[in-house]
Amino acid sequence: MSDIQISEDDFLKFREFFYRKTGILFEPSKRYFVDKRLAERIQASGSEGFRDYFTKVRFQVSGEELQALINAMTVNETYFMREAYQFDCLVEHLLEDIVEQRTDAGPIRLWSLPSSSGEEPYGIAIHLLERWARLDDWDVQIISSDIDTEILAQARTGLYSARAVHHLSPALLAKYFRRVGDRYQISETLREVVEFTQANLADPFQMRHYRDFDVIFCRNLLIYFDDLSRKQAAESLYDALRPGGFLCLGHSESMSRISSLFRIRKFPQAIVYQKPREAR
Amino acid sequence: MGLKKPPTQTAATQDERRLPRDFKGLCQALEDDSPKARRWAARDLAAFPEASAALLARLGREPDHSVREVILTSLTRLGDATALAGLIDCLRSEDALLRNDAIEALQQLPEEVAPHMERLLADPDSDMRIFAVNVLQSLRHPQVEPWLIAVIEHDPHVNVCAAAVDLLGEVGTAAARAPLRALKKRFAEEPYIRFATDLALKRVGEG
Repeated sequence: MSDIQISEDDFLKFREFFYRKTGILFEPSKRYFVDKRLAERIQASGSEGFRDYFTKVRFQVSGEELQALINAMTVNETYFMREAYQFDCLVEHLLEDIVEQRTDAGPIRLWSLPSSSGEEPYGIAIHLLERWARLDDWDVQIISSDIDTEILAQARTGLYSARAVHHLSPALLAKYFRRVGDRYQISETLREVVEFTQANLADPFQMRHYRDFDVIFCRNLLIYFDDLSRKQAAESLYDALRPGGFLCLGHSESMSRISSLFRIRKFPQAIVYQKPREAR
Repeated sequence: MGLKKPPTQTAATQDERRLPRDFKGLCQALEDDSPKARRWAARDLAAFPEASAALLARLGREPDHSVREVILTSLTRLGDATALAGLIDCLRSEDALLRNDAIEALQQLPEEVAPHMERLLADPDSDMRIFAVNVLQSLRHPQVEPWLIAVIEHDPHVNVCAAAVDLLGEVGTAAARAPLRALKKRFAEEPYIRFATDLALKRVGEG
């Protein structure tokens, strides 16, 4: 692999292309990471060098190699309170905005997808219990979905390694988990309140049943879709929201590159996307 | 009050749609007063191969942006000759939003657009030719570079050439070098072309 060289111009060319496709912009400080991943993909795809590979990525009709490249460039790690600034935004701004607009006392519905092994929906539940005083005044439902039934089973069990909980304070760990050998299991109370369902965001027929959400967390998922599926997914998320509802994407994702249906709302902690209140 | 597990059947809600979900019912729903019902109908029609004409007919008079966006996505998903002709027609629309949406839709249809590209790039209207270059921007097709080279070799309009040069800087190879140099000479008095060709030449490798 050492003979694969990525020149400065190659890097800039790739960076521009990748940004346009995914909204992810690699700063020069990420050069080593990008070069390494590119070299791996060049080798894995049997390409002769950067130019040959870039042509393949750009022109391959199936888009398979572009997808493989996106996967390689977006290695995700899941743990409790990942990108927790969005949870701060949820309790300090989004929920306040929602309850102010509410004309009924029905439950506030939150949807987290993909659930992965449950860190995000349980993390949201903990955040609400710890930080949102008005939880006493409102019923809140948390629904979390994933396409993968095995990971859903893991999420329902709620057993985590020390690494997955390393961002939680000892007090939170003691309050919401119990030690099981060298792992930590989320409390039964929390396991009972989060509803896990199997769902494929890319399937509009399945998505028709997901409605009336006030806030959707859909972080670092759309980047794995091709352009058309991403747009279709954004439209499904739009219809899954109530008017005035919010959509939170991952920090490197941008809805403005996908669809113009949503309104951009800037809060101190995060940029989120809102279904217009007047939307019908 | 507090965290409450939703009743099992309401994690996902009931289907609210009233009309049958067959082709006829969906076409009827496309005319519903509610934009939500029209969006749902437009989305579900993507599953019917014969739906392009109905979707295009609605697109022409659809006032709601959210419905139009879903119609365009479904037309892209269908991607047949009728859908394609309709999307190309949208490039002539005075509505910039619709035009941009159509460009994005066409970018998703490389194999289908390819047979039309030479005609689009030769359109008498320079704006149409720029839109055609815009379509090439994200088109996954091996002919993209030859089409762009043909533009900078022959198109008389500086703005069309400028759009093509910008893109060649990204996708060009050694084959684009000589045409880029020739373009720089042809528009020697245009500072932007000088700047853009120099940048493109640097990107493709001076050779």
